[in-house]
Amino acid sequence: MAVRTLKRILITLMGVAGVTLVLGALFLLSKMVQKSDDFDRLQDVILATNIAGGVILLLILIGNLWRLFHDYRESVPGAKLKARMVGMFVGLAVLPLIVVFYFSVQFINRGIDSWFNVQVEEGLDNALTLSRAAIEFRKRLHLQAITQIAQKLAVVPDSQLVFELSMLRRESGANEMTLYGNNNRVLATSSDSAGSFPKPLAEEVSLQMRQNRPFVSLEPLSTGSAEIRTAMAFIYRGNRLRESRTVQAHFPVDERLGNMINSVENSYSEYQRLVFFREDLKDLLTITLTFVLLLSLLTAIYGAFVLSRRLVAPIQDLVAGTRAVAMGNFDTRLPTPSRDEIGFLISSFNDMTQRLATARREATLSQALVEAERTNLEVILARLSTGVLALESDLKIRNANQAAGSILGVNLENSAGESIREVAKGVPLLEQFVDVACMHLDAGETEWREQIVLRGEVGRRVLTCACTTLPGDEDNAAGYVIVFDDITALLQAQRDAAWGEVARRLAHEIKNPLTPIQLSAERMRRKYLGTMDEEEAQILDRATHTIVQQVEAMKEMVNAFSDYARAPDMDISRFDLDKLAHEVVDLYRAQESGVEIVLTSDPTMSLVEGDMGRVRQILHNLIRNAVEALEGTPHGRIDVQIAAAEIDEVEMVQLRVEDNGPGFKAGSVSQIFDPYVTTKPKGTGLGLAIVKKLVEEHVGTISAQNRSDGGAMISIRLPLNEAAREMMIARAPRRADKRREQA
Amino acid sequence: MSQSANIQRTKLSRRFSIALAAVLLFGTGLAQEKIEREGYFEVRSASTQATGGVHALDARLQLVLSSEALAALESGVTLTIEMQVQVIRVRRFLVDSVDAELAVRHELEYRPLSQRYIVKNLNSGDQDSFATLYSALNNLGRVQALPVIDDELLLPDREYRLRLRAMLNTQQYPAALRLLFFWRGQWQLQSEWFEWPLER
Repeated sequence: MAVRTLKRILITLMGVAGVTLVLGALFLLSKMVQKSDDFDRLQDVILATNIAGGVILLLILIGNLWRLFHDYRESVPGAKLKARMVGMFVGLAVLPLIVVFYFSVQFINRGIDSWFNVQVEEGLDNALTLSRAAIEFRKRLHLQAITQIAQKLAVVPDSQLVFELSMLRRESGANEMTLYGNNNRVLATSSDSAGSFPKPLAEEVSLQMRQNRPFVSLEPLSTGSAEIRTAMAFIYRGNRLRESRTVQAHFPVDERLGNMINSVENSYSEYQRLVFFREDLKDLLTITLTFVLLLSLLTAIYGAFVLSRRLVAPIQDLVAGTRAVAMGNFDTRLPTPSRDEIGFLISSFNDMTQRLATARREATLSQALVEAERTNLEVILARLSTGVLALESDLKIRNANQAAGSILGVNLENSAGESIREVAKGVPLLEQFVDVACMHLDAGETEWREQIVLRGEVGRRVLTCACTTLPGDEDNAAGYVIVFDDITALLQAQRDAAWGEVARRLAHEIKNPLTPIQLSAERMRRKYLGTMDEEEAQILDRATHTIVQQVEAMKEMVNAFSDYARAPDMDISRFDLDKLAHEVVDLYRAQESGVEIVLTSDPTMSLVEGDMGRVRQILHNLIRNAVEALEGTPHGRIDVQIAAAEIDEVEMVQLRVEDNGPGFKAGSVSQIFDPYVTTKPKGTGLGLAIVKKLVEEHVGTISAQNRSDGGAMISIRLPLNEAAREMMIARAPRRADKRREQA
Repeated sequence: MSQSANIQRTKLSRRFSIALAAVLLFGTGLAQEKIEREGYFEVRSASTQATGGVHALDARLQLVLSSEALAALESGVTLTIEMQVQVIRVRRFLVDSVDAELAVRHELEYRPLSQRYIVKNLNSGDQDSFATLYSALNNLGRVQALPVIDDELLLPDREYRLRLRAMLNTQQYPAALRLLFFWRGQWQLQSEWFEWPLER
């Protein structure tokens, strides 16, 4: 930008310099016309100045023309308008100039020619002829006089020459008279001015005398007057030498006649000089005029460029600004050149761009706010444990949060725009969900609420769903939003609480009467067994034995329920889990149940912080459960794996018990941790329920599943230490999500 | 009448051509118009003689006027013929210096009434008239015993050179005409410098 401004200033300065130089040259020329003494000295300067000025102007114009041509070809905004304006200005300037030039040249030629009149010329010629005639008459008179004087002097003795010559001079009226002898030697002279020395004979006079011809001539004098000089050669007869002598006399021209002759001669000469310089004068004036015309033309064209540039510049700015606005740059502000219509247009343009910029800023701000709201909503939805699924009216997925995918067992976040039916193919949970949803939507129910039970490979999942319609047109809904929550864990907790209550009531209501029943049966046996006959005694013995036995069984059962319901305080200590596991496993190996128990543990694992009694019970329950499950199974094998693991930056202990038994029944995996659910004929159904309770008391996680190659697997994760336990407590909500993902 | 009009048109077109040529010359800064000159000035011989301690110049010049200068003379235009004499001191290590300069100007004029050519020495005011141009130019071209410089004014034991040239001086004409003469070679009559050592 700065370079362009500098270049423009430079070109303007060059233009001004060019015009100044040429004007300066013209001024010098004009001064020289008035005072020509310095012309020789300054003519080179004038010439150089002219050439420099002309060349500068010419270069600028060529540069301007080239740029205009280039802009025109490149369709630069404003170039066509500029070309038209330049053409118009040049036309307006050139045509009058040429007309003025033509008529000026005509006027000069005719004006100068009018100075020279044929009659004047003839008059001058006649005057000159008359003057010559008058002079010729006088010359003839003086020639006659000198002839007579020569004849007289031809016989005058030398001794009287001076006297006779003076007398003859006075008689003839001559100013000066000189007699020359051989070799132009002055023999005698007489003059009316004393002290003047006679001049030697001029060459032409001598030549004419040698040819024996008289000489007569009108001699202009340096004083401005004239005289008639005559000379005559004669043979001197005053002695015997007969030498040739010449007498020369200067006759003055009458003053009045001399003035008239001078006037005629000067007028004639002046007129002749004018005639001689007439063509030169015309040429000179024509050249000067042409030069001025050329300067005017160059200046006019240069002025046309400057003017057109000034006029077009705001329009070019406007075009550039419009293009900038079209490209989205609303911050464009154009300088207001003046207060005319173009200035008003540019001012309006500036107002428009300012308003556009303000509107865009507000729109951007609104968009940013919407985006922020949307981001917040997305964050909320992402953090929400409730699944949210937004559908278009044609059941294409508009949006779904992470929880929705986790609950339904498929990633829905990247499936926006796809049909929910297509996405559901091959995904059992989602398939069931879509079936239920479609059932309602196809029936025209747009607002519905239902609890759905989905059955998957890892168990059943209970969802509460609520669907609502997104506002749209009057007739068509814009879409649907289905909000659903996995309440499986909630229901499980409710069940756990109910079973706990049942256990407490059993312990309280059933266990208390059992002891009197047992004591009463034993008392009856002791009191009446001896008194009865053998047959009745046998009956009583069997009956009381059965009562005591069943009461014992019931006591065991009630104790088990009591254990389940009981929640003593945790006794946290540091213990060696590896050692504990070996103890428990060795106990079961010692029972020789025919089941191979393989323990894989990490000896380097650090000590575990937890309730050692509860962990021992967990191991007992799991291994016993597995041993009982493997009864009747040939080559039964139990794998117990204990390892340290860092899961989500939390130090955990992972305990896994696998067997190659029949596994869990299909569909019952999710219920195996419920009390009184068992697949064994002898089980109380509290083993795994207690394990689950103990694990949860350690803020751990437990899961069960069937192995792909047969058998069951129960996996437990316990925090390694107190810090890990605290972290697990803090992450309880996320852990719930994680559980869903694992499910 | 038509012939007169034709002549006018011819003159006009000629004038335009001249103007165009002049503009081109102004614009392009070309060298001066090169026209074959009919006239020339030439110094044939020159020498000095010391007489009474004054170095006097004897020279012979050939002055031939160009046809345009001749026509101007016949039309009553006074021609000024200038002879420039310079006394140059020869210097060994520096540029030679012009210690003295003498310009002798003569006016040559034709008087239509007497039909004689007048030669006037502008320095002395002496005037001679001649019946022919030849005799007038011959007289002009013969310089005899023209005092140039007193030997007393020259540095002793120094070497001097003299040089002489003749030229047609146009200074007395109006500048506008001289500007025109500048482009016309026939008015550029000037001899080369004629140099010779000064004998002391």
